[in-house]
Order: sequence, then C-alpha cells, then structure tokens
Amino acid sequence: MTGARVLVVDDERQILRALQTSLRGAGYEVETAETAGHALAAAAMRPPEAVILDLVLPDGTGTDVVRELRTWSSAPVIVLSAVGDEREKVEALNAGADDYVTKPVGIDELIARLRAVLRRAGPSGEPVLHIGDLQLDLEKREVLVTGKPVHLTPHQFELLRLLALNEGKLLTHRTILQEVWGPGYGDASNLLHVHVSQLRRKIEPDPARPRYLITEPGAGYRLVAPNRR
Amino acid sequence: MSTLRLPAELTHRAADGIDRRARRWSLGLLAGTALVALVTAVIALLEPHVPVLSLGVLYIFAVLPIAVFWGLALAVAVSLASMLAFNFYFLPPTHTLTLQDSRNWFALGVFVVTSVVVSELAARSRRRAIESALLAEIASSLLGRGDVTTELDRIAAEAADALEVERVEIALTPGAPGYPLLADGRQVGTIRLVNPRRGGAAGRRRLLPALASLLGVAIDRQRLAAEALEAETLRRSDAVKTAVLRAVTHDLRSPLMAMLTSASALAQDELELAPEDRRELVWTILAETRRLSRLIDNLLDLSRLEAGAATPETDVWPVDELISQALDETDDPDNRIAVELPERPLGVRADPRQIERVLVNLFENALKYSPRGEPVHVQIGGTPRHVLVRVVDHGPGVAGAERERIFEPFRRGADGHGAGLGLAIARGFAEANGARVWAESRPGQGAAFVLELEGAPMADDE
Repeated sequence: MTGARVLVVDDERQILRALQTSLRGAGYEVETAETAGHALAAAAMRPPEAVILDLVLPDGTGTDVVRELRTWSSAPVIVLSAVGDEREKVEALNAGADDYVTKPVGIDELIARLRAVLRRAGPSGEPVLHIGDLQLDLEKREVLVTGKPVHLTPHQFELLRLLALNEGKLLTHRTILQEVWGPGYGDASNLLHVHVSQLRRKIEPDPARPRYLITEPGAGYRLVAPNRR
Repeated sequence: MSTLRLPAELTHRAADGIDRRARRWSLGLLAGTALVALVTAVIALLEPHVPVLSLGVLYIFAVLPIAVFWGLALAVAVSLASMLAFNFYFLPPTHTLTLQDSRNWFALGVFVVTSVVVSELAARSRRRAIESALLAEIASSLLGRGDVTTELDRIAAEAADALEVERVEIALTPGAPGYPLLADGRQVGTIRLVNPRRGGAAGRRRLLPALASLLGVAIDRQRLAAEALEAETLRRSDAVKTAVLRAVTHDLRSPLMAMLTSASALAQDELELAPEDRRELVWTILAETRRLSRLIDNLLDLSRLEAGAATPETDVWPVDELISQALDETDDPDNRIAVELPERPLGVRADPRQIERVLVNLFENALKYSPRGEPVHVQIGGTPRHVLVRVVDHGPGVAGAERERIFEPFRRGADGHGAGLGLAIARGFAEANGARVWAESRPGQGAAFVLELEGAPMADDE
C-alpha cells in the first residue's frame, strides 16, 4: 500500500526536514525541493506519485507550480497554506490542486490526506458503501444511519453519493454544484450550504458537531469516516 | 514633524455691502427728518411758556442720535436742517428764512458748530465702543471655542462691518498678500481688506493691528493644541504598546517554556522515562503548540482589525454551519458546549471565517469562566431579519460597569488569565460584518454573550 514516491516542496529547511523524516517513517519515499524551479525540475526528472507543496516559495507561488505541473501530470497535489492565504489556497485548488492543509499541521492529518488523494479514484463497483455507521445503497438509493433508514430528498442523496464515492477527498464547492445540480449552478454556493446543513441534521449524531460531513472553510466539503477518539 | 490641521487656503468673504449701505442712508434721512419734525413740534408746544431763543438747543436731540447711528455727514445735514426749521417757524419774521435781529444769525451759527462738535464726539465714542465690542467678541469666539477655522467666516463678516470695507479675506498661508498675522514674530497668515470705504481709515488704523494680533495668537494657539494632542496620542500608544508587549511576551513564553522542557526531557538519552511519561511529554508539546498557534492567530486577527484590513467577504450561510465551524476550532475536549439547533437552518449574511472567529472567542470565553464540568449553552433565535446566537455560561457573570469594558483589548477578567484579546477580536469582527455583540448578565447568574447577525433568506427544496 505504501512506498509511493512523494515530492515535498517548502523553502523552510526545518519544515522540510520534519516532513521528510515523518513521511519516511510512514513508509513513503521522499524527495525534496526548496524552490518552484527545483520542484518542477525534480518532478520532470522522476515523476512523483504525489506532491506536497507550500503556497509561498521564493521564486513564485505554489499555484504557478500546480498549473505548470497539471500540463503534463495528474499526480495528486496537496497544498500547504498558512492562515491568511485563503485566496491563494482557493486559486491553487482551482488550478488543479487536490487538497490543502493549513499550517501548522499535525503529521497524522497530513498522512491521512495523502492516503486519501493516493487512493485511486473511480467507482469501486460495490453497490453498497459503508462509511462509519453510514450505509449507502447506490442501486436502491437507500441510506441507513446506524441501521435505521433515513429519508433524503433527491438532491441530498446525490450530494451524499458524490461525497461518499470520493471518501476522504476534498470536493470544491464548484465541483459539487456542477455534479449535483448541473453546469449552470457553479456559483450557487448558498444552495449547497443549506443542503449540507439539512443533510447533517439527518445523518450526523450531533449536527452541530459534524463528524462525517466536514467543511473545509472557503474551499469545499469532504465526507470522512469519523475517527473514534 | 507635526502639521497644523488647517486647510491650505481659507478665504472668507463678507457679503457685499452696497445694497445695505443705500438702504441705511435712506433710513438715516427718514429718521433725521422725523426727528427734526418732532423737535419742532415740541418747541411749538413750549413756545407760549418759554423764551423761544433758548428752545433752539433742543434740536441737539435730533442731531445726536443721527450722529451716533449714522455718522458725522448726516449729523451736519440734520443740524443745518434744524437751524433752518427753527429760523422758519420760530424766529421773527416767522415763515421766512430771513431774520429780524441779525444777532440771531450768530446764535444759529453757534448752534450748528456745537451740534457738529458734540456729534463728532458722540460718533467717535460709539465707534470705539463698537470696535472694542467687536474685539472682545472676536477674542472670546477665538479663544473660547475649539476650532479657529470654523469661526473665520463669522469673524470676517463682522470685521468687514467694523472696518468699513466691502469684505475681509483671512488666509492661513503666510505667503498671501495683505496685513500679516503674527504669532511670536512668525507669520501664520494674512488678513486682506477689499474695497475700503472712504472715511473709515482712522478706524481701520486703530482696529486692524489689534484684530491681526488677536487672530495670530488664536491660530498659533490652535497649532500648539494640535501638537500637544499629537504628542499625547503618541505617548498613549506607546503605553499601550508596552502593555501589549508585556502581556504577549508572558503568553508567548509560557507555552514555549512547557515545550522546551518537555522536548529537552525527551532528547536526554540518560533520562529513564516510563513510556506513559514519554507520552505525557509528547502530548504536552502538542497541546502547547496548539495554544501558541491560537495566540498567534489572535494577534494576527487583532492587528488586521486595528489596521482596518479585515474586509469581510460576505455571503449567505446557514448559521449552524458557522457554529459547527467555530465548534471545530474551539478547544473543548469534553464537549461542554451544548448547541440547540433550530428545526430548519436559519440564513445569515456574513463572512464565515470572521464570524467563526467571533464565535470561537465567545465559546472559549464562556468555557473559561464556567466552573469545570458546567455546560455552556448555545441558543439560536431572533427573527428572520435579525438572527441571535446566545452563548450562555454558568460563570460569575459580568458586573454592569464591566459589561462594555470587557470588549477592550488586553482587558482580562478578574482572575487575570489569558491575554484579554478574545472579546476585543469578537467585537471587532462582528462590527466589520455589520453584526453586534454584547454581554448580558444578572447578579448571581452567569453571563450571556449575544451575537446579532443580519438574517437572509436561503434556498430550500424540502
């Protein structure tokens, strides 16, 4: 499962070293780069299977790197952003980044995201998805929460289905709106927010503290199996 | 370098006086005629009882008021008219302008000269009285009130009347043409007289220097006041900075200290640590890192708010989404915060990140002041136009006098923990979003912090 080659790009050596050590410890093969130029050269030399990329680099932005990388590679990219980089972060996602984490970040969280983006996308062929205590029957269009059926509206079901098929992955507002409501709805984000609120009331044990349907502020949503603390 | 906060070029014009002057003169003529007629009538009444020649002096009562209010020229005219009227009506042969007794010509001549001299004395003393009243008035308006510049219009209008010119221009730039306004030998402006009237030169010579020095002093005084204010502001902001540094240094240092101690213990090979101690140290480092990170976020928020850089990007959001986000960011390991969500999501218009900062700070404040183990209740209510989020704690409450002061930065509660930033940040972001936040408290009960957000309708397909 592990052993994937990851390119880590950050201009701060301490952070680079900490990430390298931790990711190696988790079984990944790690290459590092400190500038946008080095990152693109390293990626061209030995195409990585995933990229972890700081947004602010001495010779350009992470967004530029994503854009350049996307012209020839589909390797998933996780962006490292700091508080205050919200706009830049959304730009990077729009440019083709798959996910982001906000600095300072715990290594457990980073590895979880890395696993999620490395998991091959696409339908598993299974008609029934299990995520924590949620059970989705895609053929019968049935949802069970801890074994009890709940009624969802067609849009709520489509929303849950899309998120469940991409378990653990960040889906941007735009992606979700276009997939669930159609191409004309890319900007109707408050339509999405209210459906998420209603869906949470049906599937979350405590809708005020969502553990399945997680908001990624300013970016989108993801569905995860709750970690039992 | 300090600058005087005055507009570069302030020119004040008195209203044009030609119209007014014509009206004044015709009024004077009318008054003169009326007075002469009145005195003539009085003399006619007294004539049977008193020697008529001695009654001529009564015309002084016609001449004096005219001299005082309309000046010498009209007074001379009125005294001549009086003399002619007296001659015509009372001196034999009456109803002619000739005189029987040629000595009466001498008496009439003495009357005219006397009345002119008295008139001039009266008019002069009245002018002086007007001038000193004007100076006193200007002095009190300049020195008494705050801003000289707002008084300049009025002063220019009054001075134009007193100086007998068409208008007065007061400029606060030293280079402008005109009479210099001096303060301590430095020029601070000029005063210029436009179209002086004939005859007012003596008055202008007396009045102008006094007026100019008065204005000079007032303008200089304002400059000094502005400088003093600036110095005071600087001094205060220095004091605030010192307080901030002291508070922040303490709050930055304590998590760093805990982290350093724990990490150095882990780094020491010769230290024999039990696995659970090792884990304890690692968890300490993690917890303190988060604390430090939150403090830095708060300081960044505050500096952004103070710099006015916190421009909200508002959109319509379900209020429970904002609350969930805030709960996710709040350090509440025991889930003490109990949220009562409404049946259906309520929409609000807000910047989600900023309102989340407001709520996180209200939640953490409530947790901090609630006794251990006591829950904090979050209730959502209000109307569709004003959505209220109430954060109710079971702490000691907030005394009336403190209820506003606790929103000032670096103000800690009575027990003095925390940097005292949270509520200031909450209010700052709330106000940036057009929302309001306030504290409610009754003695013996906990406090409720209320956030009022602008409601907004939301899409709904159920």
